[in-house]
Amino acid sequence: MEPYKFGIRFQITNAATQPLTDFIAVFHGWIQRQALAGHLLVDVHDYSHVPNGPGILLVAHEANLNIGETPRSLIYIRKQPTPLTETFAAAQAAAKLLTTEHGVQFQFSQFEVFANDRLLAPNTAAGAAQWQALVAQSTGGQVVQQSNDPRERLTFVVTRQP
Amino acid sequence: MTWKAKLGSQIPAELGKEIDVFETQMELRKLGKIDEKLFAETRLRRGAYGQRYDNAQRFDGFKTQRLTYPHAGLTKGPDTAWDAPGMQRIKIPFGGVSPEQLEVLADIAEEYADGILHITTRQDFQLHFVHIEDTPASMRRLAAVGITTREACGNSVRNVTACPIAGVCRTEAFDVTPYAKALAGFLLGHPDTQDFGRKFKIAFSGCECEACGLVYMHDMGALAQVRNGQRGFKLFVGGGLGAVPYQAKVFAEFVPVEELFPVAQAMARVFARLGEKQNRARARIKFLIDKLGVEEFQRLVAAERKILATDARWTAYLPGAAAYQENPLKPGRQLTGKPTDGLAAWLETNVYRQRQTGYAAVTIACPIGDITAQQARQLADLARKYCGGHVRTTVEQNLVFRWVSEADLPELYRGLQAIGLNEYGAGTILDVTACPGTDTCKLGIASSRGLARELRARLAGKFFTLDAAVKGLRIKMSGCFNSCGQHHIADIGFYGNTRTIGNRKVPHFQVLLGGRWRNNAGSYGLAIGSVPAKNVPAVVERITERYVRDRQGTEEFQDFIARIGKAESRRMIEDLMPVPAYEKDPDFYRDWGDPREFSLGDMGMGECAGEVVSALQFELAAAERLNFEAQLAHEAGDFAKADELAYGSMLQAARGLVHEQWQDVPADPATVVREFRTRFSAASLFSGPLAAYLFQRHDQPPVAPTREAAHRLIEEAQLFIEGAHTCGDKLRQQLAAPLKK
Repeated sequence: MEPYKFGIRFQITNAATQPLTDFIAVFHGWIQRQALAGHLLVDVHDYSHVPNGPGILLVAHEANLNIGETPRSLIYIRKQPTPLTETFAAAQAAAKLLTTEHGVQFQFSQFEVFANDRLLAPNTAAGAAQWQALVAQSTGGQVVQQSNDPRERLTFVVTRQP
Repeated sequence: MTWKAKLGSQIPAELGKEIDVFETQMELRKLGKIDEKLFAETRLRRGAYGQRYDNAQRFDGFKTQRLTYPHAGLTKGPDTAWDAPGMQRIKIPFGGVSPEQLEVLADIAEEYADGILHITTRQDFQLHFVHIEDTPASMRRLAAVGITTREACGNSVRNVTACPIAGVCRTEAFDVTPYAKALAGFLLGHPDTQDFGRKFKIAFSGCECEACGLVYMHDMGALAQVRNGQRGFKLFVGGGLGAVPYQAKVFAEFVPVEELFPVAQAMARVFARLGEKQNRARARIKFLIDKLGVEEFQRLVAAERKILATDARWTAYLPGAAAYQENPLKPGRQLTGKPTDGLAAWLETNVYRQRQTGYAAVTIACPIGDITAQQARQLADLARKYCGGHVRTTVEQNLVFRWVSEADLPELYRGLQAIGLNEYGAGTILDVTACPGTDTCKLGIASSRGLARELRARLAGKFFTLDAAVKGLRIKMSGCFNSCGQHHIADIGFYGNTRTIGNRKVPHFQVLLGGRWRNNAGSYGLAIGSVPAKNVPAVVERITERYVRDRQGTEEFQDFIARIGKAESRRMIEDLMPVPAYEKDPDFYRDWGDPREFSLGDMGMGECAGEVVSALQFELAAAERLNFEAQLAHEAGDFAKADELAYGSMLQAARGLVHEQWQDVPADPATVVREFRTRFSAASLFSGPLAAYLFQRHDQPPVAPTREAAHRLIEEAQLFIEGAHTCGDKLRQQLAAPLKK
């Protein structure tokens, strides 16, 4: 399977009123322990002042992870081309760590997968047709293209049995 | 598929070539064929800047962790790991940005950075957490929409800034936009701007009374003037903030527009020739002028101006500049009806009535200069719909939409509200300016952005209850004394420092009062004392309350501070200076927005000053790159090209040496070889056998080079370049010798 730069968004189903800034300490704690296997965790960045922004960002060499708003979610974006199955597994691992350690709950029955590469995966009908099967196969869900605005990243909504 | 292939001819040829060269230099660095210092300055001149923790270590609150990146041992500069995330600065001359450019900026922010576009205090954009391997692609995508990152950092002419309401301002002499744009283009990559000891910043302003251009705090400031119907500029030199702020001095009361470029070029040559190159702390032009005196500097520039060869570009742009105007999208119609509460506040603080009837310039307040990629795309849509795409960035880290029909203001407000950018308070105490500080800057001591976030949140909660005089104050802060947050020109300014309490470090901010933003940064504030970071909000409250209580009539803040004096100003905050013991309140020992115990251990070497790399070193690096390309051509079986490139590499090295003695050496091979022969070979400064390689190839170019001949020439060229390095060392020793006596 060819590696590409994908991102995953898992919506948070609780903790919606918890201050975003609470996650600053959470992510610093992860860095102290290098808690995310397969990742070199580097830094935490506070974007809580930006409306609809990335919220609290955890920077790793391999990926950016952030707790963002609208709706509150964990977003995992791979920086280097990586097989989607690995990206998906890493995002799930991060989500599970937040659940285990901080009680954050996620909606795993429906989530988003997006290609963070407009060159190889443009948000067009042809782009969607090219990538849909891979996303379905890698995530084990049913896949629908979210929108067809060519300026946006190619994004699929994935629905699957919990 | 690559962006290079996809964008093809959309990338202007010259920009495309420069990016190709940079990409090759990256490859050479990875092969160890370029020295790390030279590569550092090379990438800085392409806007690729270092970022905090790029020395591959970080204090995690308990211990300093070693960050083990995949390319262990490979560096992109001294003590700078190749894989460490960096910052990409993107120059936006005069702050002018189109909707199409905003969209591309959004795309690269999303794909190569953290999804945020950060507007700087010099009208640039910055992306953070960028991997160097992604920079060529991002540069190509930017180039395809007319943006270059060239000379965004390093010892070069930085972004040329200008008033964001130039052309629509009610008090300007004339629109400085086309002059700022043309001068930025003229000086970009100009041979006379390549050998500075430090950066050189230029600003344009249309009028003396307002703040917008900040010409007094720039290396060169140009203030629009009209004399007897002729356009020109009052020119200033030697201003600058930094650790030691200098007010610019008047260089000339009036320089006609025809003389603007040659005078700027002459200044650049004098600065390159006489400016300090070794002591980085005293290498800005302000120190040179301080040392020489402005009169002597004027004399030197005048003498240099006289010997400049006439350049058609000096005046070619002038007819277009005189006729320059932006076309509004719609007819200007006045606003009618009573605005709602939120809109009313926004109209009061964020909307400037243009000189042109029925039009407004709208400031979009971007919190601490940040907008998301998504917002940037949505702003592009709004700009197309309401202002004909006429957008500028500002030095207060905001965006301005110009030429908005006043009747459209409520609709635009709602459009901004829908994307979370309808914040009122632009240009008020709420609109706090901050440099990156410890968030991303290697030199940051304290968290300027953390403090800015805190102050904004607190002030927003009580903005409507603040006295009008307080609302109009400006707060600016920097993470250290280097003043990127322009704290010197704020009513209330702060810069980060530290104090040791017991055996622990405590983040502090020095308080500066009474700087003047207006009158083009008319005066600088004075330090009154350092307070713990956690007491800064109380300091702001204390000072503003005192101002409201004790000011006389309509007394301005600067006058108030001057009247009560420095001692009393300090007394005002003295009780906020002590730090409680760690056991009593450990929160004082942490910075804003950072739960780690405060440490200075993460500070690194700054790259603001660039690396001291001579013009000869750049020429020799270019020669080595050409030689490398010759090897690639040879490997691909193109022996004619390999021969030509190898010959070119020798010419490049020879020209670099000649340039050491003759600043204006042309690039044509005949002249280069002749001058090299006379100045270096005949003078026995260069190895005879090695020089013969160049002469032989120059005098007897092969008709159809064979594999063997091309290979031999590549080898000879490499030896020639080695000889040039040796010769360069000799020249440096000769220069240094008298100093040792």
